[in-house]
Amino acid sequence: MSLVAEAFVSQIAATEPWPENATLYQQLKGEQILLSDNAASLAVQAFLQMCNLPVKVVCRANAEYMSPSGKVPFIHVGNQVVSELGPIVQFVKAKGHSLSDGLDEVQKAEMKAYMELVNNMLLTAELYLQWCDEATVGEVLEDVDQCCQALSQRLGTQPYFFNKQPTELDALVFGHLYTILTTQLTNDELSEKVKNYSNLLAFCRRIEQHYFEDRGKGRLS
Amino acid sequence: MGTVHARSLEPLPSTGPDFGGLGEEAEFVEVEPEAKQEILENKDVVVQHVHFDGLGRTKDDIIICEIGDVFKAKNLIEVMRKSHEAREKLLRLGIFRQVDVLIDTCQGDDALPNGLDVTFEVTELRRLTGSYNTMVGNNEGSMVLGLKLPNLLGRAEKVTFQFSYGTKETSYGLSFFKPRPGNFERNFSVNLYKVTGQFPWSSLRETDRGVSAEYSFPIWKTSHTVKWEGVWRELGCLSRTASFAVRKESGHSLKSSLSHAMVIDSRNSSILPRRGALLKVNQELAGYTGGDVSFIKEDFELQLNKPLILDSVFSASLWGGMLVPIGEKPSSIADRFYLGGPTSVRGFSMHSIGPQSEGDYLGGEAYWAGGLHLYTPLPFRPGQGGFGELFRTHFFLNAGNLCNLNYGEGPKAHIRKLAEYIRWSYGAGIVLRLGNIARLELNYCIPMGVQGGDRICDGVQFGAGIRFL
Repeated sequence: MSLVAEAFVSQIAATEPWPENATLYQQLKGEQILLSDNAASLAVQAFLQMCNLPVKVVCRANAEYMSPSGKVPFIHVGNQVVSELGPIVQFVKAKGHSLSDGLDEVQKAEMKAYMELVNNMLLTAELYLQWCDEATVGEVLEDVDQCCQALSQRLGTQPYFFNKQPTELDALVFGHLYTILTTQLTNDELSEKVKNYSNLLAFCRRIEQHYFEDRGKGRLS
Repeated sequence: MGTVHARSLEPLPSTGPDFGGLGEEAEFVEVEPEAKQEILENKDVVVQHVHFDGLGRTKDDIIICEIGDVFKAKNLIEVMRKSHEAREKLLRLGIFRQVDVLIDTCQGDDALPNGLDVTFEVTELRRLTGSYNTMVGNNEGSMVLGLKLPNLLGRAEKVTFQFSYGTKETSYGLSFFKPRPGNFERNFSVNLYKVTGQFPWSSLRETDRGVSAEYSFPIWKTSHTVKWEGVWRELGCLSRTASFAVRKESGHSLKSSLSHAMVIDSRNSSILPRRGALLKVNQELAGYTGGDVSFIKEDFELQLNKPLILDSVFSASLWGGMLVPIGEKPSSIADRFYLGGPTSVRGFSMHSIGPQSEGDYLGGEAYWAGGLHLYTPLPFRPGQGGFGELFRTHFFLNAGNLCNLNYGEGPKAHIRKLAEYIRWSYGAGIVLRLGNIARLELNYCIPMGVQGGDRICDGVQFGAGIRFL
């Protein structure tokens, strides 16, 4: 969106409180949704849960055509339709909810850097695995390993990436790692790489328990 | 003996040899008697030979079927009439540019004293004709290329191809048509097409890629068409501000349907008829031959015309339709009916009546619309007999309603629902006839019964089209 349009949308959005009937749209689970789309959707769901904003998940076969940018997931809030994690974070911020307000500039830059890392490495790996399945998978797995190592080191023994409070980075990492760990693929090597890092496993389990099970949402499928 | 040379006679008088009152559009006939004058009119004749000059790729069997009746003529007037009818039939095949008829006495050894020879001199159409146009419209330019191959294999088959390449959209259509030899009204055609449409009143864009096969046949005075159609439809939002109800309909779907249409048309013309009636009934069943959408759709069109004193015509028309979805899925916006506009209920904006969401009109599953018109020639009849004859003044009363029905409620509830909140309008204007296909209207309209959500166009409204309420 252009700068002017963004400013305009923020102004409009800021005036209305979060409604009860906010909905998130994604493709059908099971038979339609792809690995990378599932990760993206989970990331957005985790983020909204962390912000304490209720949202209903609706699965529709034509979700990607409904989306204004062609990408899933997208949320329908009042009269607004916003798609993808980045714009959704912006939109939610305009309404006065933010997870990364407590961070200083350096930490914000660090957070952005890690989000780019996840998008470049993990997302690419998911895309690769869902579309091709060939011999160069070795290189892809190497990248995934490096990415997980970096994340694991950054996380250390803290509960979230920036100590006590979760941020959008936590939501994004959770979305991708959880999808990789739980989706049945022809090739298990990807999830094996992630399982090597016990603190990442604990991290996923913690977020799942805290934001999804405890809120009465039940286990994520 | 004299030769009779008949050219462009339409229509022939139905009574005998009286060439006096010929009717509106007939031209002249020249009879040049030579040397010996005889009263030929009621003399018995026999048509001995029928010759054809100028046939190239056309096969004989289809010609023979069309001219069979000429041999049955018993006297000269009948010969002329049957030859004229045969000429009409040959022109209707769409394979000849020109057909001339020559009637002469028989010469030669086997000639009877009252024998006649009829010769048809024909010029076949070229194998390939093409056209190229450029069109400029609302913020869009396009090139349109058309190709026609008439009489492809010699039996009046026709292939047409049209391709339109524009700055915004591209569309094409390919069609193959084959009539049955000897029975032109029985014909078969296969079409392949891609069309795109933009509907700003619904903020909707639609692209249809489809294939259809249809077969037409006459039963007594009615014409029937049975068709199967398979369409891959892609719907999308026309702008970022489209309502969510339209956004929910975006995406791809496949429609496979069987339909049947019946037409009875006794009007003397399809644009500004003076007399006669039209009845069209169409039904469509989708979903039983595959596809995502499942419904049964019925619609009809009725028009009655009656000439009054002083060259005026009174016309009444009634349209209606109903769409019943089968199964759980709701109906698609691409299948529903729309109401309103210069060609429908005048005084309202295009398709801007009925259910809507945030300014986007969603159409309805049932509708009816009616109109009463009085057409009169222009006052003081300027340019009588010439250009002025193409214009008519017109006074109208239009009414209609469009809504969604809850099919569990039963017919009484539906009738009640269609009868409440009727939109109607009245006014007057000028109609211009364009050839035999289209008409332009400029009306002053006063809309009434406007419901919240309808968009009106009161005052002057301009309309151009083929089918008007």
